[in-house]
Amino acid sequence: MAESRHPRKERILIVDDSEMNRSILADMLADEFDVEEAEDGEVAIKLLKEGGDYSLVLLDIVMPKMNGFDVLTEMSRTRMIEDLPVIMVSAETASDQIERAYSLGATDFIMRPFDASIVHRRVVNTILLYAKQKKLLGIIEEQLKEKEQSSSLMVDILSHIVEFRNGESGLHIRHVRTITEFLLKKLVKKTTKYPLTEAEISTISMASALHDIGKIAIDDKILNKPGKLTDEEFAVMKTHSLIGAQMLEALSNHREDPLVRCAYEICRWHHERYDGRGYPDGLKGDAIPISAQIVALADVYDALTSERVYKPPFSPEQAKEMILTGKCGVFNPILLECLKDEFTDIRDALMTDPGERSSRREVRSFADAVLHSKSTVSDRTLKLLDYERMKFNFYAELTEEIQFEYIVGEDLLKLSPWGAKKLGVNQEIVDPAHNAKLCEQLGANWFRGLNGFFAQTSAEHPEFRHECILRIGGEERWYSVIMHSIWTDDEPPRIGSVIGKLVDIHDVHTRITELRESSIRDPLTGLLNRSGASEEIAKKLSNFPAKQYAFAVFDIDNFKNANDIYGHLFGDRVLCEVSERILHNTRAGDVCARIGGDEFLVVFEYNVDIHPIIARIFRSVCGKVDDFDLTVSMGIAEMTEKGQSYNDIFRKADIALYVSKNAGRASYHFYDESMEETAVRPAESAGHGRMLSEIEDLDENERKGAKKE
Amino acid sequence: MTIQECYAALGGDYEDVIGRLRSERLVQKFVLKFPDDGSYRLLLSSLEEGNDAEAFRAAHTIKGMCQNLSFTRLANSSSELTEALRRGDREAALALLPQVKEDYERTTAAIAGFKAAIPL
Repeated sequence: MAESRHPRKERILIVDDSEMNRSILADMLADEFDVEEAEDGEVAIKLLKEGGDYSLVLLDIVMPKMNGFDVLTEMSRTRMIEDLPVIMVSAETASDQIERAYSLGATDFIMRPFDASIVHRRVVNTILLYAKQKKLLGIIEEQLKEKEQSSSLMVDILSHIVEFRNGESGLHIRHVRTITEFLLKKLVKKTTKYPLTEAEISTISMASALHDIGKIAIDDKILNKPGKLTDEEFAVMKTHSLIGAQMLEALSNHREDPLVRCAYEICRWHHERYDGRGYPDGLKGDAIPISAQIVALADVYDALTSERVYKPPFSPEQAKEMILTGKCGVFNPILLECLKDEFTDIRDALMTDPGERSSRREVRSFADAVLHSKSTVSDRTLKLLDYERMKFNFYAELTEEIQFEYIVGEDLLKLSPWGAKKLGVNQEIVDPAHNAKLCEQLGANWFRGLNGFFAQTSAEHPEFRHECILRIGGEERWYSVIMHSIWTDDEPPRIGSVIGKLVDIHDVHTRITELRESSIRDPLTGLLNRSGASEEIAKKLSNFPAKQYAFAVFDIDNFKNANDIYGHLFGDRVLCEVSERILHNTRAGDVCARIGGDEFLVVFEYNVDIHPIIARIFRSVCGKVDDFDLTVSMGIAEMTEKGQSYNDIFRKADIALYVSKNAGRASYHFYDESMEETAVRPAESAGHGRMLSEIEDLDENERKGAKKE
Repeated sequence: MTIQECYAALGGDYEDVIGRLRSERLVQKFVLKFPDDGSYRLLLSSLEEGNDAEAFRAAHTIKGMCQNLSFTRLANSSSELTEALRRGDREAALALLPQVKEDYERTTAAIAGFKAAIPL
């Protein structure tokens, strides 16, 4: 036997007297299956009986000792064939031989000579088929178990309905069932006279709960009368056993169900007496079914030990004595012995009241609901819907959203109450595209927007979110529009309706815009800060890569002195003044930023000579602020190639700035490559720029030469 | 001698067997095994001893193997012999035996030739 593996291979038994034939089959299947071989029918049967856990048998017909038909016959006799598929492999072509194999239970027949792929396919298919069948069997078993559980629940519910009408404690049914079970189990041990199976015992116990269902037809006044019943009343009361039986008999579809049959016996005859003086039929001795006999005894015992409107409870011992001495009913002597034997167990079991309190509570409340609820199921559904609607409206009101639903087929727009109030329209609007008030509120094109959504939405992507400015209630505000299309089950699906809402996000939106602004601007001067500038410039460089840009970076000379001598407030004024001067001398599209304490950046696009532009900016920034002689040191870098990065140009402008500083400030320099070496030693650099004093009086032509010096 | 030449020599249908078994390696393996099978000797001895039932099974096995291997010629003659033995027609069986013998010997001879040609 092969050892177990993971995952386990299915095991196949090949039965053929020719070693070569076995070997051909084994070779075809060995990759996927565990293959074992038997050289004749006897060996095969021996292996099968050892329980080799085979999934399939491949069986030859003509073999010595035991041929294929003998093997099939033996497998049928031991019912092995029911779970184990057999495929015949034979050179037999006579149809009667094939017919015989099938009638003995073979699953399939493969004719020799065979095709390797067909053998393989049929083997795999057969194994799969049986695996499925086993799984289905498992499912059915599971369902049967569930069915039994649910019928037990139904029995409990029914019997409790009766009990509540009876005004009994609710324990009576449970007690009768417990006593019945004890007595039955004892009975089958004591005698073989009543051969009851485990299943029958369980059925009788379950059915015992239904013994009084006939009482449902008895008038409340008689059923719950506190005093003794009159003769007429008692006669009515006595009809409950027959009525219960008739109720069960009326279940024509289930009359043959073992549970119903058993409940019928119990209902009808649980008031018969062993001496024949009971009702309704006056049956005597074992003419009364044993189920009814036992339930009758259990019923009496529990009635004696329970409190009733007309009597106090007797102790278990008293009850036992009354029954055994025949003071209360006449019973089968063997049942009395069972009661005697089981008395202690029964007494204790009833006292501890075994189990399932919670499930009993559920049953009780269900029964209660059925008994006392006046409303019908549809009332209940309406109430639930009403409740859901209230809940929905409550939340909708709280969220202050304009919620809507547009039903395509009816061309109907439904609005939430709050939304309708906000828009000043009705909650339901037919043909909303032409509703004047709605168009006034949402703009004449609002319906086109909805149609646009129809064009782009799909069952896979039903949702749409969009932020826009809407003029609702005479005020322009930001709204978030969320829509969701709901599709029909048709093929292809259509849009059945659109649900959605308009959410006022104006305050949030404004706040976010403000925050964004403040994160990219210098609060003092209102110019962009470093990160705002780099973002803005990067955007320009990528959006208009063909244009020519220049970066001008500059510091305020001796700014530290201004702060020290005149104070920080004055320092701030200087910064603001510089910012003012820059803004006055640049265009709206240029980027102006304060990128550090006293460091500024101007980036501008140009397509003429850059030198006059720089000279003008440089000159305009310089000039007295009060007593402070404001000058700057500036470095300029031009974009030299397309696609040059912000960082690269900035770095070059910065190098040129250092050159200006080291040249004694109040000057500007254009970057050139020779500065690269000197940049690390700024002190040595000189001569590529202009001192403020020099350019003060230069005319345009001379300025052009500044760079070439 | 190739396997195809071997099939031609023994009166078999190589195209048919390779179509069913799908692998030259397998065909070759089973062809070489064929002479080792004891059914033929069992057939001869059973017929000699008058054990027709045993002879039937032996003939049946030969027929089955030949069908699996597409040894058409021997499959045909052994099939006729099988049917004769199935009906219990000993006379007919004995009349058919020489043809089976001839075909069997031709088959094993071809296989021996093929085996000899296989490089060791």
